[in-house]
Amino acid sequence: MYDIGTLYQAETVEHACRLLLEHPEAQVLAGGSDVLVQIREGRRAGKDFVDIYMLDELRGVSIDDEENIRIGSLTSFSHITKDPIIQKYINVLGEAVDMVGGPQIRAIGTIGGNTCNGVTSADSASTLMAWDAVMEVTGTEGVRRVPIKDWYIKAKQVDLRAGEIQTAILIPKESYENCFGHYIKYSMRNALDIATTGCSVNVRLSDDKSTFERVRIGYGVASPVPVRAPSAEEFINGKEITGENIKLFSEMVLEDINPRDSWRAGRALRRHISVVMADRAIRECVRLAGGEVHE
Amino acid sequence: MISCTINGKKRSFDIDPTKRLREMLLMNGNFAVRDSDDAEGFCGSDTVLLDGTPVFSNLVLAGEVEGCEIRTPDSLGDSMHLSVVQQALIDAGVVQSAYNAPAAALLMTWLFENDPEPSREAVKDALSGIFIRDASYEQYYLAAELIKEKNKYGEYKSEIAPEFRPHLKAVGKNMPKVDAPQLVSGERAFVEDYVDSDTCYMVVLRSPYAHAYVNKIDTSKAEALPGVIKIITAYNCPDVTYMSAGQGNPEPSPHDRKLLNKKVRHVGDRVAAIVAETLEEAIKARDLIEVEYEPLPAVFTVEEAMAEGAPLVHNGYVEYNAGAPDDLDEYNAKLSGDEREGHVLYQFPLNGDVLHNVAAANHGGIGDVDKAFAEADAVVEATYQTSQIQHTPLETHICFSKMENGRLIIYASTQVPYHVRRIVSWVTGLSENKIHVIKTRVGGGYGSKQDILVEDLTGYASFATGRPVLYHNTREEEFIANSTRHPMRVHVKMGGNKDGQITGIYMKVDANTGPYGNHALTVPMNSCSKTLPLFKCDNMKYDLTIYYTNTPPAGAYQGYGTPKGTYGLMMAMCELADKLGVDYKEMVLKNHVEEGYMLEILKGLGEGREGNVVSVGSCGLREAVEKGCEMIEWGKREESDDPDWKIGKGFAMIMQGSGLPGLDHANAIAKLEMDGSVIITSGAADIGTGLDTIIAKVTSDILCLPMNLITVISGDTDSGAFDTGSYASSGTFFSGNAAVVAATNLKEKILDEAGYQLEESVEDMELRWPGEVHSKKTGEVLSFYDIIHTSTSGTGRGHLIAPGSFTTTAASVPYGAHFAQVAVNIKTGEVKVQKFYALQDAGTPINPEAALCQMYGAALKSIGHTLYEDMKLDENGTCVNANMTDYGVPMISEQPDDFKAVLIDVDDPDGPFGAKSISEIACNGAAPAIGNAIHDACGVWIRSWPMTPEKILRELGKIK
Repeated sequence: MYDIGTLYQAETVEHACRLLLEHPEAQVLAGGSDVLVQIREGRRAGKDFVDIYMLDELRGVSIDDEENIRIGSLTSFSHITKDPIIQKYINVLGEAVDMVGGPQIRAIGTIGGNTCNGVTSADSASTLMAWDAVMEVTGTEGVRRVPIKDWYIKAKQVDLRAGEIQTAILIPKESYENCFGHYIKYSMRNALDIATTGCSVNVRLSDDKSTFERVRIGYGVASPVPVRAPSAEEFINGKEITGENIKLFSEMVLEDINPRDSWRAGRALRRHISVVMADRAIRECVRLAGGEVHE
Repeated sequence: MISCTINGKKRSFDIDPTKRLREMLLMNGNFAVRDSDDAEGFCGSDTVLLDGTPVFSNLVLAGEVEGCEIRTPDSLGDSMHLSVVQQALIDAGVVQSAYNAPAAALLMTWLFENDPEPSREAVKDALSGIFIRDASYEQYYLAAELIKEKNKYGEYKSEIAPEFRPHLKAVGKNMPKVDAPQLVSGERAFVEDYVDSDTCYMVVLRSPYAHAYVNKIDTSKAEALPGVIKIITAYNCPDVTYMSAGQGNPEPSPHDRKLLNKKVRHVGDRVAAIVAETLEEAIKARDLIEVEYEPLPAVFTVEEAMAEGAPLVHNGYVEYNAGAPDDLDEYNAKLSGDEREGHVLYQFPLNGDVLHNVAAANHGGIGDVDKAFAEADAVVEATYQTSQIQHTPLETHICFSKMENGRLIIYASTQVPYHVRRIVSWVTGLSENKIHVIKTRVGGGYGSKQDILVEDLTGYASFATGRPVLYHNTREEEFIANSTRHPMRVHVKMGGNKDGQITGIYMKVDANTGPYGNHALTVPMNSCSKTLPLFKCDNMKYDLTIYYTNTPPAGAYQGYGTPKGTYGLMMAMCELADKLGVDYKEMVLKNHVEEGYMLEILKGLGEGREGNVVSVGSCGLREAVEKGCEMIEWGKREESDDPDWKIGKGFAMIMQGSGLPGLDHANAIAKLEMDGSVIITSGAADIGTGLDTIIAKVTSDILCLPMNLITVISGDTDSGAFDTGSYASSGTFFSGNAAVVAATNLKEKILDEAGYQLEESVEDMELRWPGEVHSKKTGEVLSFYDIIHTSTSGTGRGHLIAPGSFTTTAASVPYGAHFAQVAVNIKTGEVKVQKFYALQDAGTPINPEAALCQMYGAALKSIGHTLYEDMKLDENGTCVNANMTDYGVPMISEQPDDFKAVLIDVDDPDGPFGAKSISEIACNGAAPAIGNAIHDACGVWIRSWPMTPEKILRELGKIK
């Protein structure tokens, strides 16, 4: 038995919000692949939980009226990877979440859980960061939207208020149109391992494919929360696609990230790798976009 | 009330919705849904299909399956009615220790139901969430091919494994392992499946300190809890000093621990054992025990242990059963003699010196290395450090014991049933006839179950309480309180000439045994005794010192000390070749031993006594080297399309032993049953590797009797006769040979009885397939049924029963060479093992398909040891990665794309039907093969495990 105080089954989103208001200490349980492991480790032991896993209305990927890609928060990793909308517009997200665990985890792990746990190493985090995702949060008073840059407050804490659950993740059209992305997970092993560092880059090239119109780069495990590298982005936007510019861009990420030492890997390795990954990822994006790097 | 469908049947459960789905399935009797990781979501043993999708049933709440359809592995087919998938897994040889074979069968079934012709990528993806430690994943790909073929053509088309010895019917042929149907279908097999419903539960309170006196234990609050039966501490347990190594008695390991000690010597050491009616009550009681510790300074590395004035891990007094030095009293006067320390008892001298934290030592050699180094054209000298590695069997250590009619019954997952019985006898004071050890199937041993780590305490708890007691290690306990590979510092100096001749080798090995000395001498000894005899070199010297420290304990681990010694020696040889400008392969060919070469070096390398000097026997070493070089295209430089990836090749010679000549002993008893079938009872301990099958096969070929008429009973101390156990690669050679002797004796008895019954001379009698005796003179035929029927009639001469015993001084050494091709990314430090070829001379491979799986399994495991696995301790000696995700085992994604195991055909004169050992040796080659390949790829020597990107980038000067 899990050391769970009381488990409340939510029947609707509104019910879930009410339950959370009535039981302010309670936490949300979605697929459970993270939370149940944490309970086992004693980290959330004895707490009350509101189980939203049965809320099928929070599953699925669609294009909404505003032409946002809308990913229901309970959409599983395996669903995202196979979804035609994701494959067409933001395939990199499907690739990123496919790096999580084996089929058993990918079937129950949810994109909502992956972003609400506030973990910097979450495989979807750096990509959603790099694509300026917007979190749709629903409470008893209605719906609000939180840009992902404001979502992560600190390690393991996100901008969810009392009585709120995340109901969807939106990728605005402006964000995905004509963009090509690539994610690199750098880990000690491939299998079921936590990222040492994750780097997700996407680019939009000029019509003649000679310059970077817009480059966005997000990192996981480079700071306590997923981050972008604004100095590097600012530098390269509008620049020509040359090896020299890519090199300067990649080195410039070090101004924006702050990885730490841990027993998993040292800070020096993480800094070095972050630069190498930026270089490799942006080059792959250029290739996917049909461009060419002039060395 | 939760209603769902389980394996097609509607079920309702009155169950707390916060229970795990797995717990609900256990209530339903689906016990093959197992737990290997305490619900961490890693190993996959708990996999079930939920509405057609695989999930970890430990990570799903019972409350979430209302109205769902669940399928469990035991629904696929029972041992008499196997599905195509289950049969293919058996035939491919992957059903070895098999703790999660049922889960793997379920995943494969799911895969084929969704995709009848899955690609290799699809198989890889389907198995990416299940941990296989024994056989690797390679032959799962083969199984997938077999399933496809069977479904499509009604029969297999692919070759499963090469077969050997065409004149024999069973030996050398691919045949289902005798226990495989039971294992793959998830029938009762493991200790946990035999637990009585009235069992109590035991948990252990473990030390938070690496080194401390336990001055006081207040158990009053805990004992006041309802359900608590007994709390065992150092203050109320028997004062018996012993050790945990399952070795021949007297052991070459110091006796230096009790059931519970008044001094704890590592984080995780036993402080108290709590027996209660339920697991929850036992855990609750554990939390209420108040312990007064007196922390002491600790040592964690051999450098710290050997330092002047270092804290002493054992500071009581020393005793000897034999060979005590004359100045023992003076020596003991220098130790504290504190009662809380206990004492260290050497059965015979091992050159230990606890005053300097030395548990054991050995020194020796041949020739004159100093002169050799002085005269050599080049000398290299380097130190190679190995890391602390855990076996991670899928089934963590477990024991169930109970008292019945004054006897103690122990269900054990062990490699050494008879040693378990002896040590439990020491602890409880019961004579051995009052103890019955039943070895069940073993869900992975790899050496960790050669130590008696849980049976002593569990057996004692039953003895002391009179109650059935179940103890089961958590995965964390498996890391911190079990046994591990000894971390070793292997310093090698090697000299050679420009023609490639090696002229001198010196090895200085400093090993870390942790707080206790089980296997302290012998594991490090193997780093020399199973490596130096690879070389035809007249000048060799070794200095071995084994230190006590306060790390988690070390012990036996597949390969024993050999992987560490091989790593140092083969890397040093590659460094020497590089320095001399000689091709490494040429140097190997010039220096390796061959049949008939007298191994003088062995004289000093016995197990704490004089070693057995023998000449090299059957030896496929050269063929393995030559063939491997051909396969990997030695000397050809490979280029990657991506300039960041550099490719290199490396290999290593390897050897092991086949048991311990002069020390090991095995017995079997063959019995002709009333219908002419045979039951052979062996003292052997099959730990999933196919030993029972070997015994059945040799019996089949000797008695000319089909396999289905032979049953092997083994691992049961009541019915069998003594066997030292499955360790030191002894199973095939010793237990197999004992079966050969027993079956041959039975054959002689059958012939004799047939001659008597036919009133003919026994010389005219011959055995014929399928189980009959034929008279060469008269043509008369008696079936085994006729013979036994008459001999057990009211006027017969009695039941035909034949014992067989085996000891030897012969050393049948398996040889081989392992090859690696790696790609190293010089920007990221990543290493990919692109190719790995394991070539081994195992004599006659009795179970060829199982042999290949063991080679693959050991190779992948040791690739893990080389590149990823490492127990990390913080400054207090606490292991910070004592769980599966953080520890770092290799899984299917880490497996080399091009992975081959090749059996070199050599017939050994002493092995059963020419067989030698197969599995341990396969752990020895990966580290030096990969290390040398990394150097070949990018020019850096990685002289410590694991060979991480961080170390490579540092050596390349990319990071500081």
